[in-house]
Amino acid sequence: MPALLEARAITKRFPGVTALRDVSFDLQAGEIHALCGENGAGKSTLIKLLSGLHAHGSYEGSFSIAGRTAEFSSIADARLAGLAVIYQELALVPGLTVAENLFLGCEPRRGLLIDWEKLYTDARAALAKVGLDVPADTLVAELGIGQQQLVEIAKALSKETRILILDEPTAALAEREVDILLALLRDLRAQGIACIYISHKLDEVFAISDRITVLRDGSTISTYRAAATSKHAIIRDMVGREIKDLFPRVASAPGEILLRVDHLSVSPASGAPARLRDVSFEVRAGEVLGIGGLMGAGRTELLMHLFGAWGHRLSGDVQLCGRDLRSPTPVTALAGGLALVSEDRKRYGLVLDRDIGFNLSLSSITRLRRGLLVDEENEVRTNQKFFSSLRVKAPSLETAVGTLSGGNQQKVVIGKALMTGPSVVFLDEPTRGIDVGAKLEVYELINRLTAEGKAVVLVSSELPELMGMSDRIVMLHDGEVGGTFTKAEATQEVLIAAAMGSGSRDDRDGRDEKP
Amino acid sequence: MTQSRLSLRDFSLLVTLIIIWGFFAVTSPQYLSARNLSALSVELAITATLALGMLLVILPGHIDLSVGSGVGLIGGIAAVLVFNHDWPAILAFLPAIAVALLVWYAQGTLIVRQRIPAFIITLGGLLVFKGVFWLVINTHTVPVAPGGRPNLYSLLTTYYLPPLASYALVAIVFAALAVVAVRARRRRAQMGFAVDDAELAFMKLFLTAQGLILFVLTVNQFRGIPLPVVILGTVALAIQVITRHTPFGRHLYAIGGNEEAAFVSGVPVQKVVIGAFTLLGGIVAITGLMQTAYGGAATTTVGDQMELDAIAACVIGGTSLRGGRGTVLGVIFGALIMASLLNGMTLLAVAPELKFIVRGVVLTLAVWMDVKLAKR
Repeated sequence: MPALLEARAITKRFPGVTALRDVSFDLQAGEIHALCGENGAGKSTLIKLLSGLHAHGSYEGSFSIAGRTAEFSSIADARLAGLAVIYQELALVPGLTVAENLFLGCEPRRGLLIDWEKLYTDARAALAKVGLDVPADTLVAELGIGQQQLVEIAKALSKETRILILDEPTAALAEREVDILLALLRDLRAQGIACIYISHKLDEVFAISDRITVLRDGSTISTYRAAATSKHAIIRDMVGREIKDLFPRVASAPGEILLRVDHLSVSPASGAPARLRDVSFEVRAGEVLGIGGLMGAGRTELLMHLFGAWGHRLSGDVQLCGRDLRSPTPVTALAGGLALVSEDRKRYGLVLDRDIGFNLSLSSITRLRRGLLVDEENEVRTNQKFFSSLRVKAPSLETAVGTLSGGNQQKVVIGKALMTGPSVVFLDEPTRGIDVGAKLEVYELINRLTAEGKAVVLVSSELPELMGMSDRIVMLHDGEVGGTFTKAEATQEVLIAAAMGSGSRDDRDGRDEKP
Repeated sequence: MTQSRLSLRDFSLLVTLIIIWGFFAVTSPQYLSARNLSALSVELAITATLALGMLLVILPGHIDLSVGSGVGLIGGIAAVLVFNHDWPAILAFLPAIAVALLVWYAQGTLIVRQRIPAFIITLGGLLVFKGVFWLVINTHTVPVAPGGRPNLYSLLTTYYLPPLASYALVAIVFAALAVVAVRARRRRAQMGFAVDDAELAFMKLFLTAQGLILFVLTVNQFRGIPLPVVILGTVALAIQVITRHTPFGRHLYAIGGNEEAAFVSGVPVQKVVIGAFTLLGGIVAITGLMQTAYGGAATTTVGDQMELDAIAACVIGGTSLRGGRGTVLGVIFGALIMASLLNGMTLLAVAPELKFIVRGVVLTLAVWMDVKLAKR
């Protein structure tokens, strides 16, 4: 029996780079096949090629679906052949209902008009298939990310899909939502639907896949049966070298308190109910404070508020380097020595169609002045320094940021924050969606920052990362501090308990008297 | 590292312009006369000046529909002070300019602080300023020079640099451009950035020199360089420096490119946008004085639809209405295309209804062509 999908010796060149070199890959019916590799390894290019985004003729080699040679010239061709891609950034219209989204562009009709009755009946059936229990007339905007993802999958399945390609499907999902998604994929596998699964999260990859193929620098390095290999081997193949220590935290002696947050309560807008309640913590020079919690616990809101970009303060005090930070704006926060690397780098981090230099110096440009004008030589020198010390992989400072891989974009965002010379650095999910090699570089950077006497606040959804890199950990639960732990106290179990609100463990250092 | 980066797109405006000029040269013998080209350069100066102001608010993703009414109002205030109250022109300019700065500061403030779309605020402005303008001139025709004696106001569009001074000015401008170009090229090369290859860089300068010489020879056959062209040059230089070489300019592009990222990066978004509108107010004042002077008097129709020409010039010149993209040179070319069309059609005594249609079609075609070329 021929493979459901078989790619033979595919080479794809872009001006100046060879994105794929002689790649071969196969997918069997009823198989979940994971595709691993660092950003820029060629995974996205391969997917775009299989799904018709890179038209037939723009690459060398060939691939076939169920034994028939596939020559797609558009996404529509790939769809007809039964191949659907679900991208990291979901493509749903928030203002339409679930049912409308499911059949967007192929609404059932009666004459010229939409057959609403059939549309909603079909939608209910499609939702049942993915086990999503919401009314079909719910607006997509009212759904959580995980539910939206299920809608996307339902949408794909409603069109005779045999091959489902998921690109980083769990990047924005909470743990429970991940479980639901993985269960669904297993279910679909049992029904004979094959799946190409792309993820940086190796735990998931091992939990779900039958086989794993590693790409590096545009070539296939290895294909393993998942049961017969280890994370270690995959990582080694991905980075092409041995990584012994995943979390190379080097603790430095904590110094004076740089940031103190005292009984802080914040609401989204004046008059709204509090979103953060009675939050207290402090961060010292040379220390990494980890902040954990479930999706929606208020981690990002906390950082964004302290940085002056979110919310209305109801009560509480914040002291930054000994000075009161009463009603901060990003301008005053930066001036006071606080820098933020946002979790959503495309939305809050980068001006995508501008070049690397523009983005790197954006936060510092008012200081890089001579008189009224920008001191361009100084600017380029400074940019160059961060460009090379962060090892951004790009032809030059004049490369548009939008064309970079996730890891390199993240480096630019980090460089922009560091160029302002901060004493306290907020890193909100700094390794989300970036590859192992770049992650390691971020961790090393954290060490360098604390060694220089800066304080780092690290927000992360990944417990191993949080435990591996933090000196102390604050777990948030529903806008409140669920517990504060030293590195020695922090085990997965107590952290999860605190995040779920069942930790019932108060701040250990005793200055927190709870009513 | 050298690299040639010329594409058809860089030339599309030039090609459009040559087609327009060619057409009018054939159909109307006076089109390329020195007198008419001199008049065209004045019309260009007025349109382009206003369009450069518009660029400042389009870059951060806003728009201003009220500038046309503003042009009438500001010119009208100065005219009334000069003609009805016998103020010296120079003194009349000051309150007119102050009003413009204040009004546009207020519009900018409303837009960013109350979060009302610029489209709405300035649509309101369009109507309100028109009404106030008619009140100010009492719907009469108010000449800019009492008794027909030339004053500073009327000289705004009737003064010409004498031929000798014109040559000197062009020589100085070209020398400055050449020095700046060579220096910038050397500096980019030193910093390891891509530069045009030497041949191309020379060609660009050579073409610029030819254009300047052709221009000065032509206008000197009439009376010399018109003052509005000098004003446009000054405004263009100022806007070029502001947009390209100041933190404020960076902020304009950053806000237009991604406002949320700009805010979180510490760009004082509100201040910058208010600043852009205030600067636009200043430019509306300058344009208002020139446009009113060009017509000789403040009449109820001064400034009509000028906002549309300004926006059209920006868009034809490659400015993105979503913000974040646009250049001074592009806008000037865009204005040149609009002004050339209008001037040619007036010369041919084309009926007003047809004029509207042609301007609309050209705007649409120009943008369509740009979109097509950008995709390749």
